[in-house]
Amino acid sequence: MSNSFIDYILRVRLPITIFVIVSSFALTYFLSRGERDGIGYQPDQPIDFSHALHAGQMGIDCQYCHTSVEKSRHAGIPPVETCMNCHSVARKDKPQIIKLTTHYKEGKPLEWNRIHKVPEYAYFNHSVHVNKGIDCASCHGEVKQMEKVAQVNRFTMGACLDCHRNPAEKMPYLKNVKNGPDYCWACHR
Amino acid sequence: MSELKNQEENNLQNTNYWKSFEELYRDQKTITASHHEFQEGVTDDFDPDKNLTGISRRRFLALLGASAAFAGAGCSEYPDKGAIIPYNKKPEEVVLGKANYYASTCTGCSSACGILIKTREGRPIKVDGNPDHPVSQGKICSQGQASILNLYDPSRLKDPMVYKDGFWNKEPWGKIDQDILAILKSAQGKEISIITRNVTSPTFKKLLSEFSGKFGNTKVYSYEIFNNLSKESAWQKCYPGTSIPAINWEGAKVIVSFEGDFLGVEGNKIEQSRMFAANRDVNNPSGFNRLYVAESNMSLTGTNADHRIRIPLAGQSELLLAVVNELALDQTVGSKLNATLKNLASGYSLSNIAQKYKLNISVLKAMITDLVKNQGKSVVFGGRLLTESEHIVINGINDALGNNSLFIEPHVQQINPATLQELKELTDRMKQGSIHAAIVVDCNPVYEFPSDLKVMDALKKVDYVISLSEFSNETTSVSKIVLPISHTFESWGDHQTRHGHYSLQQPVIAPLYGTRQKEAIILNFLNEKPSAYTGEDYHKYLMENWRTNVYPLSNSIFGFEKYWLGVLHDGVLTLRIKSNASYSLSDSAFTGIQLRKESSGYALVLAESPHIKDGRFAHNGWLQELPHPVTKVTWDNYAAVSYDTAVKLGVKTNDLVKISGGGDSLEVPVLVQPGLADNHVIIELGYGRTNSHIVADGAGFNANIFLKSSGSTPFTLSEISVSKAGGKYSIVSTQDHHTYDEDLIKDIHEKRGIIREGTLSQFVADPDFLHHGKTHAHVNMYEDHEYDHVKWGMAIDLNKCIGCGDCTVACNVENNIPVVGKDQVERGRDMLWLRIDRYYSGPPEEPKVSFQPMLCQHCDQAPCENVCPVVATTHSPDGLNQMVYNRCVGTRYCSNNCPYKVRRFNYYNFRDHFAEGHYLADSLELLHNPEVTVRSRGVMEKCTFCIQRISDARAEAIEKGVALTGEEVKTACQEACVTNAIKFGSVNNTNSELYKYRNHKLGYHVLEELNTRPNVTYVAKLKNTFSEEA
Repeated sequence: MSNSFIDYILRVRLPITIFVIVSSFALTYFLSRGERDGIGYQPDQPIDFSHALHAGQMGIDCQYCHTSVEKSRHAGIPPVETCMNCHSVARKDKPQIIKLTTHYKEGKPLEWNRIHKVPEYAYFNHSVHVNKGIDCASCHGEVKQMEKVAQVNRFTMGACLDCHRNPAEKMPYLKNVKNGPDYCWACHR
Repeated sequence: MSELKNQEENNLQNTNYWKSFEELYRDQKTITASHHEFQEGVTDDFDPDKNLTGISRRRFLALLGASAAFAGAGCSEYPDKGAIIPYNKKPEEVVLGKANYYASTCTGCSSACGILIKTREGRPIKVDGNPDHPVSQGKICSQGQASILNLYDPSRLKDPMVYKDGFWNKEPWGKIDQDILAILKSAQGKEISIITRNVTSPTFKKLLSEFSGKFGNTKVYSYEIFNNLSKESAWQKCYPGTSIPAINWEGAKVIVSFEGDFLGVEGNKIEQSRMFAANRDVNNPSGFNRLYVAESNMSLTGTNADHRIRIPLAGQSELLLAVVNELALDQTVGSKLNATLKNLASGYSLSNIAQKYKLNISVLKAMITDLVKNQGKSVVFGGRLLTESEHIVINGINDALGNNSLFIEPHVQQINPATLQELKELTDRMKQGSIHAAIVVDCNPVYEFPSDLKVMDALKKVDYVISLSEFSNETTSVSKIVLPISHTFESWGDHQTRHGHYSLQQPVIAPLYGTRQKEAIILNFLNEKPSAYTGEDYHKYLMENWRTNVYPLSNSIFGFEKYWLGVLHDGVLTLRIKSNASYSLSDSAFTGIQLRKESSGYALVLAESPHIKDGRFAHNGWLQELPHPVTKVTWDNYAAVSYDTAVKLGVKTNDLVKISGGGDSLEVPVLVQPGLADNHVIIELGYGRTNSHIVADGAGFNANIFLKSSGSTPFTLSEISVSKAGGKYSIVSTQDHHTYDEDLIKDIHEKRGIIREGTLSQFVADPDFLHHGKTHAHVNMYEDHEYDHVKWGMAIDLNKCIGCGDCTVACNVENNIPVVGKDQVERGRDMLWLRIDRYYSGPPEEPKVSFQPMLCQHCDQAPCENVCPVVATTHSPDGLNQMVYNRCVGTRYCSNNCPYKVRRFNYYNFRDHFAEGHYLADSLELLHNPEVTVRSRGVMEKCTFCIQRISDARAEAIEKGVALTGEEVKTACQEACVTNAIKFGSVNNTNSELYKYRNHKLGYHVLEELNTRPNVTYVAKLKNTFSEEA
């Protein structure tokens, strides 16, 4: 093997290969970051429930269904019973409502696919945020306009701290807002 | 030159290279082995059945399938976050993430304390006391707290079983009910015996009497090992027709206890401890009570005594009579003392007793002076080790001192306990074959009955033995039919232990398995319609009984349904009926008083275990692992002997001794216990279980063989022989046993100011006495932090702390603390976040005992924080020392640097490690507090000041839009502390109780000189010793 060939590989081929590998990794890393954090995750649900219709068009308050959001850690996914408050009468003949009614009558719960999730070692509390006047949309996005709910924001520790440290900037609608806690046991315990 | 070379070669040949110690020390086996090319056994024929790992082909395929499935699961869509499954119909009272509390009654012992069961989304996770309960007043003991573990215990009996042709067969309830009904009906005049523990339920009593009425010759025997038979018979002789009243201990300035562990195992612990400690208030020094304890054992009460009188059991009669004789010298008391008693006592004098038993005469004199001075404001209390005659003398003393004025409402005994004579007759009849059926209701006669009754053999002669039990035990294994019963939290019931007070017990969860509550099973036979069982039968029966018998007494303005729901909600009912019991001493009681016989030689005392009681909690890992309050031993019982006795026997702690007496003998390890009377051997019962439960079996030794039906009480045996048996055993304790005279560690807790104590008179004379000579100039390496809002702190009043350990169990339950097992405790890997340190000082014969709850001190300048390489432990702006599990990598530097040694490391996933993963079972997952992380292997953990409760309080404050004051939070240990020794709150809140105690003149920090600035303040203990001027 001639010296010039090895020289060519070391001087030209190798740097190009390394550049391509590093840059494609970096590109993929940054481009896929949102997806890896779950942004845009929009799974199919057992019932094609439209938030756009219920919360948007009809203007039903979030808390009509997510009842414990002001009282507890969990916002609460409504029991089938809550749907039946209206749908025992309304649109009874639609296939999705028939499915819903069957679940209700058989006493079977609906298994909704989870969209938003903070890791289990973080004890997020809905009530403290909502009671401080933070809008649901600040984290969950404009659910009122979603036919099928998707995740729009990150639910990482970085995202939490972003708001906790710059609340005035992130939530300009809040007056006299103070920084949120940023010590460990605020969330982890 | 060649010489040199030869020498070198020689050297090389002789150089001793070695691969192992065996080789180095030329072990014969190793040398032989080295002569063969292969190890022994290598050339044996290959036998796949023997030599493989024991995994069958089928199991191998299953594992293959499982690993494929796991690999598949790993590759599933990564954004998938699982499902959220809401209710179909949500119960109205459930708010997700919020706990509900239901009032009920604890059935752990005969005290029947009121409890609040905390449930989350329908599953019970913690037990607290019911504040509305007039007796227990919001507190509950370790057993009550830990009983929640039994509910989820994977070893619970789940199906009815029948023993047929050498096998246990599962059978459906319907069939088994029919069979048992047929058995009951075919008695033909032969006796049906129902054996049960103490009954506290009036409705169950009614049910049993209806049952007896229906099935002819039925007799009910209620028996517990640790009964008060001698005390009760003495009471009946003194005050015929009345029952023993409860005592208002709060009214007592002087308490004299003879062998009475009223703060420990004598029953009614919650009320007695609370009332005792109420008069140990440092803010009211003039209200302090004084406690004298005369005992042979080193009981929890004895360790809390201001003056402890160490006297052998045999001396109790003489001491009591000497006290009578001395009291008779006082005019007022003497005139009220019974003449017969005075005559009997005339030969006894305190100075003789003091000389005979080497007692401090000035203490005895002080006791008499105190009693005379505090007539009507003192309690003389006798424990269950005393004989009937001794109890009669005590009743006489109390009567003469006018202490009957402290009696409050009388106890109610639903079913009189069976006497030993009755038990003997029962077993005799069993042996004659004249018992048709023995129904064993939630008790364990084979283990609990006096051993000379040979109840095991007797039961074999009974036609049918039917056991109703939650767990398998010694008795179920000799039964023909075993019916699984529900846990307390799955059952209905009512309880009455005091005149005018009722409490209700309600189920808070549907039965987890196919069990039925014991009352319902018996009711089902009574109704004779086994197939119609609904699970609501006993509920209706209970309501009917209340409708007819209790409701009319209440004069309620509501209809019954509403009234019932009201009582159910409160859990308790107090009727405003005065008991018109009057207590006039019967003179005839004092004729025929028999003194305890003098005995030389060794005496055996069988004591109740403070944690697993008579063995009924032996299957509870939390209680097995809870260190004994005095000896700190876990997972075992032992023969406790005094230092001198151990020297005499030539044994040390852990040596096995052989104890023989009453025809039985047992080999047990010795534990040298300071403060015991000489020549006494004290063994706690409840251990040495067989055929029962994976946790209980193999823990300790069965000393129940020494329980005899003859003698004054079944708990003492005199003239036993004790000898060194040879051999060792390993008793495991959470606090090291050091030899007493080792200079380095002797009294180290006093030298370093870990324990600081004084006397009441010292404090009254000079309130600042604790802090004289304190000259530490604290230099800070770091800048001080400003804590301008809430800053959490705790104060522990050591005057009130009696060292019982209830707080530890509360902490275990609240914070998901695992059971580690004896082998791990031995390695110092116990996981208790809150431990109670016990220190001895003074001579080993008469040690002074000090208790100190020790938990994370949440130091302002925490040494642990500086050394964590990954910043997993840091400080919060509200003054907490935070521990973050998901950041911890397990270097354990923090634990090493903690001067208080309160950090705990997960050497294993202990749930997996202990007893073949017993506590890893699915059912146990329901027990976990969902607000607290379940830690796994490799992380450090420690007390969090119940951060989950602080977070809850903060969320609530935000919801209400108010600022936290610090008064909102109660830690689990604080909530459980029977004597309210623990205060918690904000250091910056000057109105809080915490502030008062933190800045109290008696307040101090442990190891102050290290300048760690702890946020746990200890309030120094004051002994209220006798002094002339007081």
